[in-house]
Amino acid sequence: MHGQCGLFFRTYAGEAQLFPGRFLKISMLLFFAALCLAPWAMNKYLVSILCLINISVIGAVSLNLLTGSCGQISLGHGAFFGVGAYSAAYLANLGLPFLLVLPGAGAITALTGMVFGLPSLRLKGIYLAIATLAAQLILEYVFLHWDAVTGGSGGMALDPPSIFGFAFDSDLKMFYLTLAVAALCVLCVRNVMRTCLGRAFVAIRDYHLSAEIVGVDLFAYKLRAFGLSSFLAGVGGALWGSYTMYITPEQFGIGLSVSYLAMIIIGGLGSVIGGVFGAVFITILPELLNFIAQHAGAAFTDLSGALLAMKEGVFGLVLVLFLIFEPEGLANRWRLVKSYWKLYPFAH
Amino acid sequence: MKRLAKLLTLALAWTLAVPGVVRAEETVNIGLLSDLSGPTSAVGVPYSEGIKDAAKYLNENGGIAGKPIKLIEVDYAYNAQQALSAYKRFTSQDKIVALQGWGTQDTEALTKFVGKDQIPTLSASYSAHLTDPAKAPYNFFVAADYSTQIRGALKYFKGNWKEARAPKVAFVYPDHPYGLVPIPAAKDYAKELGFELVGDETVALGAMDAMAQMLRLQKLAPDYVWIGGTTPSAAVIMKDAQKLGFKTTFFCNIWGVDESLFKLAGDAAGGAYSLQTAVVYGQKVPGMAVIEKLTGGTPKMTHYIRGFASMLVMAEGLKIAAAKGPLTGPAIKDALETLRDYNPMGLTPPISFFPNDHRPNMSVIIYKVEAGKMVEVATETLERKPEWLGK
Repeated sequence: MHGQCGLFFRTYAGEAQLFPGRFLKISMLLFFAALCLAPWAMNKYLVSILCLINISVIGAVSLNLLTGSCGQISLGHGAFFGVGAYSAAYLANLGLPFLLVLPGAGAITALTGMVFGLPSLRLKGIYLAIATLAAQLILEYVFLHWDAVTGGSGGMALDPPSIFGFAFDSDLKMFYLTLAVAALCVLCVRNVMRTCLGRAFVAIRDYHLSAEIVGVDLFAYKLRAFGLSSFLAGVGGALWGSYTMYITPEQFGIGLSVSYLAMIIIGGLGSVIGGVFGAVFITILPELLNFIAQHAGAAFTDLSGALLAMKEGVFGLVLVLFLIFEPEGLANRWRLVKSYWKLYPFAH
Repeated sequence: MKRLAKLLTLALAWTLAVPGVVRAEETVNIGLLSDLSGPTSAVGVPYSEGIKDAAKYLNENGGIAGKPIKLIEVDYAYNAQQALSAYKRFTSQDKIVALQGWGTQDTEALTKFVGKDQIPTLSASYSAHLTDPAKAPYNFFVAADYSTQIRGALKYFKGNWKEARAPKVAFVYPDHPYGLVPIPAAKDYAKELGFELVGDETVALGAMDAMAQMLRLQKLAPDYVWIGGTTPSAAVIMKDAQKLGFKTTFFCNIWGVDESLFKLAGDAAGGAYSLQTAVVYGQKVPGMAVIEKLTGGTPKMTHYIRGFASMLVMAEGLKIAAAKGPLTGPAIKDALETLRDYNPMGLTPPISFFPNDHRPNMSVIIYKVEAGKMVEVATETLERKPEWLGK
């Protein structure tokens, strides 16, 4: 590894690069190539988990932009995800092509998110959390009762997405579609964080008064954060709807919002890579617990039932342990691992 | 060296312990989605026990054409995403031929998948729209759907109505897909039968109090009130009505009254009617002897019995399909669609499925809660009207 020790940037542009250094560029390329090849060595179950991870990554990264980077806590992200899914189903059933459905669902969700983001000018912290919780409840009500558009309690069916006649009707095909969209979303958020928009978000998060003093229009930027975050959530929701092919109001309950919050807390607030780590972790955890319960159950029959029932408890325990021992999330652990290897074999 | 020997012994012990499981091609693999730890686990656990006990009973009696049934259970904690990944595991790793599902959330999220992958699914989500093969070709269940259950009860009450005026009915349900699904059908049929609809109220599934709603209903003085929640919310409604001295006849849907209601609501539940589609523990039917033997005489909830019946019905489909050729999804679906008045050891009313109609039957068993027990009063059977299919 030929890494330079210390910072050697001579230009601002150099410092703001997305992938500084050839090593990072090559390793990212190899990682992406490995990710693209991985499904060929996996069965449908593992590929479907990869699809779910891709979709969760979009949700977590978008919430992290709003909550982690801009400091606007949201308990309504699950419902925004739902708006995306329902919009996609509605637009697709109108006969629109998927390439329009996806941004269309994002745009509708962005508008919805901005409407519910309006109270953010006056409200902060726990008050805003409650306002967004209201958004969650109102939207759930709309999903359930606006029968003409959402199908009400019966839900809505939609076909697998198809682009220029190519139907994404298998897990493998959906994997590439979700991976491409997730990668684009992550790149988009990473880029936003490098621009003045992202800096304004961070300024608002760190202290709203200082941000206002240096010329950040609080209201406009908070709304942009809500709009952008909801746009991405809508895209994620549209993919979820296209993947499951059947959506019902129950899928977008408060549990989903909490699960996205858990993702960004475990991954690391305010860091793009943190959102990705959190999404991977929370999606894999129940599968891992199921796997352990099942295999422990094969050896110790009496234990399997108890272990299955304990699963949710273990899930909670893992969250608490994270908050105690790694409050800055997996992103911080990743930073520590990187710096360890950068300085290896010297500790400091 | 010692450590290596220890490790090798452990590895050997593990390999001897684990493959007690029979090889995949020699078993009939069935996926079992259960909620053992999620919000519906109170009824999810007995239901899944019923399915597992029925599989045990079937295996002791020759399995399916000599092959044992292997149930592969996953606790999906009532979460659509986990249900989806469990389903993918079932189909890709475990090579299941059929699926025992559970609630609304997983059943509906998987409707399209089971149709595409041709995996016959029996679940405990009794929404009428799952009975229409045009929309859900691979979905089945063994209970009359929610709409049929209410229609049956309304018919029974109308038949026993003695006064000259029209009986008044009100509906109380949670603002939730499960509560809302049968309401339009129920209202239409109530009007058709000549009931006077006096009002609706919503009480959430997790409600701690329903006093305000009961006060409003009391003023409307309905003769009958349908409760569309689960046992905790039904108990809250009945207790608050009792506190107000509100005298009416409650009738609750399948998840609203079970054996746990007696503990939750006490005397307040007395006189309420429960709509069920399976017998209760201890009733004199041929299957009860088997169940009593399997459970060692420990009473189980009615949900257990429905789970048991669901597995028996699935096994009947499997047996018919196995007698004709290899066990494939379409073969099992076709076999299930040939069932005509199949009697699952008397545990439920007879079951028939048709290629264009997946309503198992049109019968609802009406129980009355008396002195902390569910006492059977009638079985109401409706006509299989085509215009009711899926609604």
